[in-house]
Amino acid sequence: MTDQLGALTTIFTEFYYWVTVVLMFLIHVGFCMYEVGASRYKHHQHTLMKNTMLIPLVTVTWFLFGWWIYWAFPTGPGIAPSIMTESTGLVLGGGFGGNDLANPTNALMAVNLNDHIMGVFWAAFLLFSWTAASIVSGAIIERITTFAFGVLAIAIGSVFWSIDASWGWHFDGWMLKILGYHDAYASGVIHAIAGGFALGVLMVLGPRIGKFSSSGEPRNIGPRNPWLVTIGLFLIYTGFWGFYAACNVPIYDLGPEYGMEGVTFWTATNIYLTPTTLSGITMNFLMSLSGGLLAGYVIAKGDPFWTYSSGLAGIICASAGNDLYHPIQALIIGMIGVVISYKLHYWVERKFKIDDAVGAVAVHGYAGFIGLVICGFVLNGYPSSGYSVGAMFDGTTYATINPLGQFIGAIIMFLVLGLIPGYIIARVLNGMGKLRIPREVEIAGLDYEMMEAAKDDEKAVSSATR
Amino acid sequence: MATVSNWIDHLNKPAEEVAGSVYPGAGSSEFILVLLLIAVWIGWSVITDKSEREELDRLSRKRHSANDHKSNITDW
Repeated sequence: MTDQLGALTTIFTEFYYWVTVVLMFLIHVGFCMYEVGASRYKHHQHTLMKNTMLIPLVTVTWFLFGWWIYWAFPTGPGIAPSIMTESTGLVLGGGFGGNDLANPTNALMAVNLNDHIMGVFWAAFLLFSWTAASIVSGAIIERITTFAFGVLAIAIGSVFWSIDASWGWHFDGWMLKILGYHDAYASGVIHAIAGGFALGVLMVLGPRIGKFSSSGEPRNIGPRNPWLVTIGLFLIYTGFWGFYAACNVPIYDLGPEYGMEGVTFWTATNIYLTPTTLSGITMNFLMSLSGGLLAGYVIAKGDPFWTYSSGLAGIICASAGNDLYHPIQALIIGMIGVVISYKLHYWVERKFKIDDAVGAVAVHGYAGFIGLVICGFVLNGYPSSGYSVGAMFDGTTYATINPLGQFIGAIIMFLVLGLIPGYIIARVLNGMGKLRIPREVEIAGLDYEMMEAAKDDEKAVSSATR
Repeated sequence: MATVSNWIDHLNKPAEEVAGSVYPGAGSSEFILVLLLIAVWIGWSVITDKSEREELDRLSRKRHSANDHKSNITDW
């Protein structure tokens, strides 16, 4: 920051990300309210604490290794060379075997007078991590142990989503070069992977007691507090707005970045450093939200729980290409995603006896997957990066966006990095006897001991005031 | 422990030469701090797992009545 313009640009960027972090905190507030509202009375306090405690667990592990993974793995390793190091190995450097940027012992990972960006950028990504873990949290309420959820939250929040972001949500990621992968606002890198991960866990965890009749018919265990669910989802929408802003680089001169001599082009960019505008994505956000709500209201026959969730699913489905879509395209894509996700949710529930308590697999997983595939068709031929344009599977250049690349990318997100790791970790935890709470506790309620203690406290106070 | 003892001396250099790290123990304590954080994380997880297991065991041994869940409602 040696001149005033440089200082203003830097301080503006620092403040911009800081605002997005505060806004995104509302996502977590919303998830907490939503989950408590969706759970039964006897499990309320445990449900709340389970989701709350992912905040420190994912934060600590994100500081220790999650952020490092994001900066170390864009090459795979071994899949496509980095444009920074021209090597296919891990992007390393600095002491301790870590990369310079995110090694937890690095001078940049603290108050540093020469750096104003690392902390807020780290925090923005951390809030994405909380979201990934929180998506899983909703699906598995009322029957998982807090310990098992903590392990799963760290796995999705600080390891697997970080790997997928490094591969497909990084200007140097191998999925851009090999596949032409494009996912500007994280249909896949957060939502599809978290939905897939949740499905993998649910396959092992099993349904809540009483969810299915002896003949296998699913019973509805609806939300117990519709107002908490409603306010929670409105807060998630609000935080999601902040998320959209956080996915952008607010001000960047792409002329020198792309090696164009004498060209100056200041713009906002997406995470891939290709141009977009905050103005345009705001329109697309609102139109895809509207598309989701419109379709959800019809298909769920006015059911509030699914209508609100469909608004979210609409945004998620359009998010992969919302940096470039026309607003009406965003709306239509949101509608398509909602219809398919809703139908898939009930088909999977009946066919495979999967009890997804809040529809998280559908809203995030299926909608994210579908959004990636649609993006491949609608944005077919657009460059996935500004640095170069090349063919699929070349690796040294960036492939253009295409349907096959997006489909393979969706498989990687939902299945390879989502469902399979979720399933394996849940199997291991189950084998150790640490995954599911005992049947008697599930029936009596996780809050039983807390409520008994509260009753004793009340009795003691009453008798003292007689 | 103080990394900076005089801001005028500290900042009175060309901008690129000003040492960025200003937290206590800069340059010497980072590795120990990271080890400490790992210990906190692992320790917390072990303690939490143990206490949760004890609570769940206690609850599952209790003879619950069929109506237990009805008086088990958080009043908020």
